[in-house]
Formats: sequence, structure tokens, C-alpha cells
Amino acid sequence: MTAKWSDLGLRLSGAVVVAVMVVGLVALVIPYDPADAVSYDSLLNPPSAAHWLGTDGQGRDVLMRLVKGTEAFFLPGLMGGLIAVVLGGLAGAYTGYASGPLRSALVGLLQLVDTLPRLVFIILLCTIRNPSIPLIAVVAGLLFVPTVATVVRRKVEALASEDYILAHIAHGFTPARILLHHILWLQCWPLLVRQAAFVFGYVLFVETGLSYLGDYGVQEPDPSWGNMVAQVKDLAGAGAWPWLAPAVAIVVTIASFLAFGNLVARKGEEALR
Amino acid sequence: MSGAASFLALAGRRIAASLLLLVGASFLIYFTIRSAPGDAVDAITPMGTPPEIKEKLAAEFGLDQGVLGGYGVWLSRSATGDFGESLVFAPGQTVMEVAGPAFEKTLLLSGGALFATVVLSILLALLLGEPSARQQGLTGALYFITSAPGFVSAVVFSAAVNAGVQRFVEQAGHETPAWYPIPIYSDSIVPYFFAGFVLVMGDGLLMDTFNAVRAEILGVRGAQFISAVRARGASVTPHLWLNLAIPIFSAFVSRLPVVLGGVVIVEYVFTLDGAGYLLLEASKQRDFPVVVGLSVLFTLAVIVVGLLSDVARSVIDQREVARDG
Repeated sequence: MTAKWSDLGLRLSGAVVVAVMVVGLVALVIPYDPADAVSYDSLLNPPSAAHWLGTDGQGRDVLMRLVKGTEAFFLPGLMGGLIAVVLGGLAGAYTGYASGPLRSALVGLLQLVDTLPRLVFIILLCTIRNPSIPLIAVVAGLLFVPTVATVVRRKVEALASEDYILAHIAHGFTPARILLHHILWLQCWPLLVRQAAFVFGYVLFVETGLSYLGDYGVQEPDPSWGNMVAQVKDLAGAGAWPWLAPAVAIVVTIASFLAFGNLVARKGEEALR
Repeated sequence: MSGAASFLALAGRRIAASLLLLVGASFLIYFTIRSAPGDAVDAITPMGTPPEIKEKLAAEFGLDQGVLGGYGVWLSRSATGDFGESLVFAPGQTVMEVAGPAFEKTLLLSGGALFATVVLSILLALLLGEPSARQQGLTGALYFITSAPGFVSAVVFSAAVNAGVQRFVEQAGHETPAWYPIPIYSDSIVPYFFAGFVLVMGDGLLMDTFNAVRAEILGVRGAQFISAVRARGASVTPHLWLNLAIPIFSAFVSRLPVVLGGVVIVEYVFTLDGAGYLLLEASKQRDFPVVVGLSVLFTLAVIVVGLLSDVARSVIDQREVARDG
């Protein structure tokens, strides 16, 4: 990718990421009562000055529900990403550096978790416990630990025989300091940023997917981009804006988070070379 | 050790490792069942389930024993393909009778979509060649479109097709197809093609595969041995494809779990009677034996695909056998 396109992509995706962060924080504090939002005088109004993205089949403002809908995945997405990179980073650093039975056991456990088809496992969990979105995000984060651990392990294995690491060992630095500070913190951060952005996107996918299905995830009348898209089932031919706006929002957000993670990581890797 | 003996030893080790993985993964699934809040039997059965059915279920799943003992009971039944009987979805039928045919359809759909993705990726890679500034607009747009989650692509695609049929077929007075409007249950094969198209175009699959395949093609094309073949005036094509066989096969296999995840909701959107649709319907109706049986089958598919990948790589590339042996 040329530098010009790369910078443009970084700026555009970065703008969306910042916008989602700001809207996600705003959504946490603005009051919204789904019952009060119903207005039978303004059903399925097209976009206008009063309702920028129109109204849905119950007369509710689509933009307001879009903003409030970020609450469903914003903090869970951050939580899932954090769990995956912290646990995956530590597991990857340990398995890349250490040897012995504990390392072998950890590698086996990671392989085992990696075998589980993620969405199928989450649906199994939903059938048994009907968990909240935050709990689903925690599980999603845990299911991504092996993926993060694998990329970090490869990096650690590649770095372990580098001269400057051997010099740190000769200086008497503890393995924990070398691993956590010199390798994980200073060298692996681009990988971790990429993975965190990916897991955030995955949590958004799972939340909206489950909310779309209706029985799990966020239930009407509370807003989620997923249950807003699900209105397509009731609005055949009656106007696309109530479900198309959240559909576009989902695609733009996921694409932007993935692109932002990749581009930041690429720039970081170039700087580290 | 001879080549054949080394290969058999390698295959044996990989099969043993896969069996261990299956046992471990099945324990995780069983442990998740046992983590149900309150009485596990009440938690996993629909409201109003008769007590005798609950007792039968508790015995089948070993819920009346400790976790390890219960797992032993459940595993010994599951290992023979006995996942019990469906409670709600198809009462009286065994889980395998319900889930088996559905799973075959899902594997066919997922495999077909993935095959199409790989072929499309190869064609795109050959067409576009080296990355250049001129391609950035096209690849950027493709990246954006294909980043959509499968269910969003499916919803938008269905709405577009419905609108098209309504406008150009229904309003023109022609007879509408059996699969219209989507989603509707029909015997037509057309919705499977729609679902396959959505699987190719969703969840970032196409661009991810394209990037991997293009990198491999460019890497092999630029390799020194290809220059040497060219210098001798021989055709590079057979050498090129022989050396691309492993990476392209890996690109296919490594992405199957992604497609098996995406297919679940896509089948639901198109109302296709595959394993994904069945899983979600069974989950909604709390038909627990079917949900567990399908979860094991999906996990088994991922493990078997990984095993086949390892063995096939060893057949194609003898260095794998030498390294391992």
C-alpha cells in the first residue's frame, strides 16, 4: 500500500474509531426511555430536519436509537479486546520463552480452546445460561486468547535469540522484565493493537448478530444495531432507512476498526525495524 | 526409517493428538453444560418437560453424577454417535437423524463457498498482479464491502433481491419463483447459491484469502528457482502451481472454521435447513440434546479438517515428514 493511501486510510478509519468512542461514551450518559420514544404520529417518517435518519415502525428516532445502540457493544467490546490481549499476550510471551511441562500444558490448553468454533460455543452458552452481553464479551475475549498467544509466541521466539535480548540477559535482567517490558511492551504492541481492534470488531459482530436473532442479545424495546437491522423482517417495502442505517453503521464500524488496527500495527512495525 | 513408515508414524501421531484434542474440547463443552445455574436438568429443558423425560436426560448426560463421572457417561454414549433424542424440534428422532443430514448440507455449502472464494482469490491475484497505487481504490472498496458480517450482507442482499423480483417479475405480471420472498422455506436450491454468495462476500473472507493467496503467488513468482527455470527456457507454470499447492490448500483449510462460524447466521437469514439453522432453532426451542450434538459435530469438523490438512501437507511436502520424524 502506498504511503498516501495508507495515510488516508489511517485518517478515515481513525476518525470513525474516535467517533465510535465518543458516541459510545455519550450513549452511556444520555437519558433514553424506549417507551417514551414511541410516537404513533410519526411512523416511518423519511429523513428530515427533525429526524435526520427518519423514524422506525414505532415512530422512534432512528439516529437516537443508533447512538444509544452503541452502549450494547462499546464497553463489552473494549473489555473483550482487553481480556484477549492481556491474557493472550502473557500466555504467548510465556510459551514463547519458557520450556518444560507447564509450558507444554499451557500450549495444549490454548490449542484446545482454539478448537472450539467460537460462535457455536457462544450459542451453546446462550442456550444454557442466557448470558448478558458483557459476559458474552468476556467469553469472546477468552476464545481469542489462543489467537493472540500464537502471534505473540512467534514474535517472542523470533526475538529471543536477538543480540540485544542476549545483552539484557548478560546484564542480569530478570526473565520477567525482559519478557514483559522489552519484548511484550516495546516490541509486541503493534500486534496487540491489531488483535484488540479485531476482537472489538468480533464482539460487535456477536452482539449485533445475537440481537438480530432476537432471543439472545439486546431485546426490544432497548436499542441495539442488531435488533434495528432485524426490523427488515417487518418493514418489507415500507422504507429502508430504519434498518439500512444500522446495517451501514455495523459495516463502517467493523471495517474501520479492522483497518485502523492493521494500519497502526503496520506503522508500528515499520518504526520498530 | 523408510519414507512410508515415517509418514505412517507421523499420521499416527497426528491422529492421536487430534483424538486428545477432541476429548479435551468435548470436556469443555460438557463442563459448560454443568455450569448451568441451579438444577442443571431444569436449566437445559424447556418449560413443562415431563419428569420422566428429565430423568432420562439426566441419566443420558450424567447429570446425576459428579462432573468427571458424568462426563465419562456422556462421552461413552457420544463416542458411539448417541447424542440422545430430540426433545422439541423432532420428538422421537435421534439427534443424529435430525442433525446428520443438516450437517451434510452445511458442510457442502461451507466447502462450496470456500472453494469459490479460493478460486476467485486466485483469479483476482493473477489479474491484479503486484500491488500498485492504481489498485488501491478497487481493493479498498472490496475490503470495505467484504468486511460486513455475514448476516448484514445476507439481509441487504435479500432485500435487494426481493425488491428486484417485485419490480421486474411480480409487477410485470410474471410468476414469481418458489423461493420468493426471501426468507421463505422452499425446496429450491437457489437460496443455497445466494447463501454461498453471501458467505464469499461477507466476514472479510474474500479479502483475507485474496491477500494470502496473492502474497504466496508473488513470493513464488519472485523466487530464484523460478528465475532459474525461466533462464533454462522451460515453462514455469508447472513449477509455479506445484509450489503453490500447499499454501493454497492451507488457505482453504485454515479458513473453514471461519466459514463454519459465519454459516450459522447466514443459514438462519435464508431459512436453509442446514446445521446452522437447526442449531439456532434448537437453541431457541431449548432442544438441548440437538444443540449439544451439533456443537460436538461442529467441533469435530474443525478438528478433522485440521488433521486432514496436516496429513495432506505431509503427502504433498515430504520435508514435513523428515522434520517430524
